[in-house]
Amino acid sequence: MFKHLFKLIWNKKKQNALLITEMFISFLVIFAVSTMAVYAYRNYRQPMGLEYADVWVVNYQPPANIRTLDSVYGFQEALRREVKAMPAVLDVTYSGNNVPFSMNSSNSTLSTDDKRRANANFYTVEEAYPGVLGMKMKSGRWVTKSDLVSNVPAVVINARLEEALFDGTDAVGRYVHTDMEKLKVVGVVENAKEKGAYQVVESGMYRHLDSNAARWTGTMLLKMKPGTGASFESGLFRTLSDRIGSSIEIEHLDEKLASKNRLSLVPMIILFVVGGFLVINVALGLFGVLWYNISKRRGEIGLRRAVGASGASVSRQLVQEALFLATLALLIGLFFAVQFPILHVFDLPSSVYVAAIGLSVAFIYILVFLCALYPGRQAAAIYPAVALHEE
Amino acid sequence: MIQLKAVEKTYRTDTIETTALNGIDLNVAKGEFLSIMGPSGCGKSTLLNIIGLLDTPTRGEVLIGGQQTTQLSDKQLARFRNQQLGFIFQSFHLINDLRVLDNVELPLLYRNVSARERAELSKEALAKVGLGNRMKHFPSQLSGGQKQRVAIARAIVGQPAIVLADEPTGNLDSAMGNEIMDLLLQLNEQDGATIVMVTHDELMARKTHRLVRLFDGAQVNDHYLKNAYA
Amino acid sequence: MLKNYFKTAIAVLRRRKFFTFISLFGIAFTLTIVTVLAAFVDNTVSANYPEVHRDRSLYITLLKQENTKDQGQWNSPASFYYLDKYVSTLKTPEKVAISSFFNPTNAYRNGRKLAVNLKYTNAPFWEVMQFDFIEGKPFTEQQVANGERVAVISEDTKRDYFGNAASVAGQTIEVDNQAYRVSGVVKSVPVTMPIAHADMYVPYTVSKADYRQPTLMGNYTAVLLGRSEADLPAMQAEYAAVVARVKPEAKGFDVFKSNADPYLSSFLRNSPFGDTDDGGVGRAMMAGALILLLFMLLPALNLVNINISRIMERSSEIGVRKAFGASGHTLVGQFIVENLILTFLGCCIGILVSFVAIQVINGAGLINNIHLTINGTVLGFSLIACVVFGLLSGVYPAWRMSRLQVVQALKDR
Repeated sequence: MFKHLFKLIWNKKKQNALLITEMFISFLVIFAVSTMAVYAYRNYRQPMGLEYADVWVVNYQPPANIRTLDSVYGFQEALRREVKAMPAVLDVTYSGNNVPFSMNSSNSTLSTDDKRRANANFYTVEEAYPGVLGMKMKSGRWVTKSDLVSNVPAVVINARLEEALFDGTDAVGRYVHTDMEKLKVVGVVENAKEKGAYQVVESGMYRHLDSNAARWTGTMLLKMKPGTGASFESGLFRTLSDRIGSSIEIEHLDEKLASKNRLSLVPMIILFVVGGFLVINVALGLFGVLWYNISKRRGEIGLRRAVGASGASVSRQLVQEALFLATLALLIGLFFAVQFPILHVFDLPSSVYVAAIGLSVAFIYILVFLCALYPGRQAAAIYPAVALHEE
Repeated sequence: MIQLKAVEKTYRTDTIETTALNGIDLNVAKGEFLSIMGPSGCGKSTLLNIIGLLDTPTRGEVLIGGQQTTQLSDKQLARFRNQQLGFIFQSFHLINDLRVLDNVELPLLYRNVSARERAELSKEALAKVGLGNRMKHFPSQLSGGQKQRVAIARAIVGQPAIVLADEPTGNLDSAMGNEIMDLLLQLNEQDGATIVMVTHDELMARKTHRLVRLFDGAQVNDHYLKNAYA
Repeated sequence: MLKNYFKTAIAVLRRRKFFTFISLFGIAFTLTIVTVLAAFVDNTVSANYPEVHRDRSLYITLLKQENTKDQGQWNSPASFYYLDKYVSTLKTPEKVAISSFFNPTNAYRNGRKLAVNLKYTNAPFWEVMQFDFIEGKPFTEQQVANGERVAVISEDTKRDYFGNAASVAGQTIEVDNQAYRVSGVVKSVPVTMPIAHADMYVPYTVSKADYRQPTLMGNYTAVLLGRSEADLPAMQAEYAAVVARVKPEAKGFDVFKSNADPYLSSFLRNSPFGDTDDGGVGRAMMAGALILLLFMLLPALNLVNINISRIMERSSEIGVRKAFGASGHTLVGQFIVENLILTFLGCCIGILVSFVAIQVINGAGLINNIHLTINGTVLGFSLIACVVFGLLSGVYPAWRMSRLQVVQALKDR
């Protein structure tokens, strides 16, 4: 029977070529959409790795009149003491401007002694940073101010970077290099999703705020007591404005996460809506063409009934034909789809593509099956005595 | 072989009821070659459909090979047609997208016969109708007579006890028609197939054993011809 | 002849209503997406409120310093100092608006927090941009020079800060820990127009940062308003001559670049399409057309499939036409016209749906204050897309139809 179907389809290849092309392109569209969805879902399933509730971000322009290193340190320490003394503030840290969920990023390439290379985000932090953000150490220790005096600067890397550079073997005590200097890894911190809940964990390297960076630092992270409200915030705002003297802004990390997530979700929702309409369109078209084909093949169906096919077997045959067409389309589609994991086109893990391919194949089969079901039923209902005498 | 008892068939539309067959009693013996004649709309095709189990009578009984058929399910009917009946149509009804050989083996396909056996039986059947050299052609590449031969090969490939032919020569010129008729006669004589043929052509009908005339859904004449089957 | 085609087309449409529905659904949906997209692009690109003079304006949004030896590059908006010294002094522009990019900051009112985007501007900004003042008036040259703490606020800010107060001109608003006197209230501008958008506009002279700092890079942009569109080349030439005299200030950098561009290229120049003579507009349009074509491919293929089914159904009609002397060309023409009629019908539905979709998008506040409209440009574009779609889905079936053999066609039914 399988061979019979194949002959039937092969001998009609010209008519079927268009249907196959349509299914093939539909597969590619579904593949693209499901790749994005699978990737986003996988990332979503990863633990956040940081606590963003009740963390506030203060952005300010570094005061232009404070120039010398001593005055910068003095200014920052005085401000820190004053803020930390406030009853609602649990902890304070200065940071580079690429705080979690911000639009800023700063990255560069790192290499190991044996020339393994990886791109990583560079974070400028202080001792209190992991405490404010609730980040957990995997091994080793966090950087401290006393690290600034050592000859080889100390850094902390995250687990993802440890995996990329050292294949997951303990990186503590080993060295990494930037273009300009050699750095010693003193600790490995657990991964944190700093680009949003649906974004992938990126490699990261954390380094203590040094005299170079201090002059340009304009970001503070504050861990607040839960439930601290706007009235305290306005007081804090006033105090900071007075002390700093330039324009400032206070943001809440949970709101930043929400807007960052929206930024990932909105394009995906648009894609789903457009893709959904395309699929409805294709499904209707497929249904229409299959249905039409039944009416064109009434004679053939009548004959099959006459020579001993039951209604159910005719209906089954038509559904099988459609699924067979889908299989041909999917084979072509798979040829293109597997190039993505093989050639690492978008630097996504292969398992994402594999899952997306699986989903898309299942989706196309189900779609085609549903579209063929009703025309198949119609075919089973064809009355052979009538169909055979229409001429 | 075929027994029809008081078969009636009426078609009902919204407003009118048409009687296609009105109390037909008919017995066809094993090995008999019966022809049915009558003007257009007299119900001969309906009769053939009922004998071929493609249609069910409104009243009456149809027995084939002693088997009562009115109570059979769709699936049972399909199996019965497949094993006991072969069909030949005026307009051939070949599947244009299949090659000749694939067309012929169609009945065997619904019978779970192995591919090799299907091919062998089909080749045999084609040889019998004289088309052994056209197996790889598509129907569109054949003449009308050749198409009908393919249809005959398809009808006999499963070695059914009964062959039903609905104006098999109706679309053919007289020379080709005669060829097809000879083939059917040969089939009847050599293989002992029971054949029921509907025709418009008196000359063709005269070559068979027995001629039944229908008018307005009723049997008006039934006589055995001189070449009657003993 | 065309009337005849039209009649046949309508008859065919009425014959198989389900197919007609599928065809129209596909076309309408495709056109809806294209139209909404076009409306969005048109909204961001064309001269809408308040930048109604875009056709005779040039934008300076970026300075570039390059280190050709080490391939180093430093891109940034200009400082106020640079724009004041080199751009305000240009002879050809009628007016030069200088404004900062919007700075996010906060305001606190009645125990609530407000995020406020603050923009520092000069006085000509209010003449170059045509803001609708709901009440009050812009701040003047004199007020800017005096460093008065006056502000023009957006309608949104008025609502968020003052609630339902009828009139707020002359009242005090406290933002970024500074008290400002409200000078006027303007209709809000969506964030898709970054040069004009802000929640509150104040004179650059009250900026907490030192605007006099003699450095090139900063946070300001300039809009040069010409007397007419014809002035633009002269303005560009004069600015280019000025830029040629400026030395890069960063150590090791040897090239200084900046362009005064029309609105669209001023943004595209900094994109991957960038650095061609037209600022990448041509390339961006090519890319857009390609994406659109790819998007239309699947619905078109769907329509091709349905069209072919329809043609096969009409094979006897085609046979008769051929038998009575219609040539292949005539039939191709007939079918393409028929398909265009069908597509056009679908387009009309699509455009109607777009109107609804755009109302929904405007109402849903996907982007604050954006107000998409279907104007002549958008309609024209949709019509072009409609024709392209009609041809894309009609040509192949028409060719198949013209090749049907007469005998075969007549015999088929």
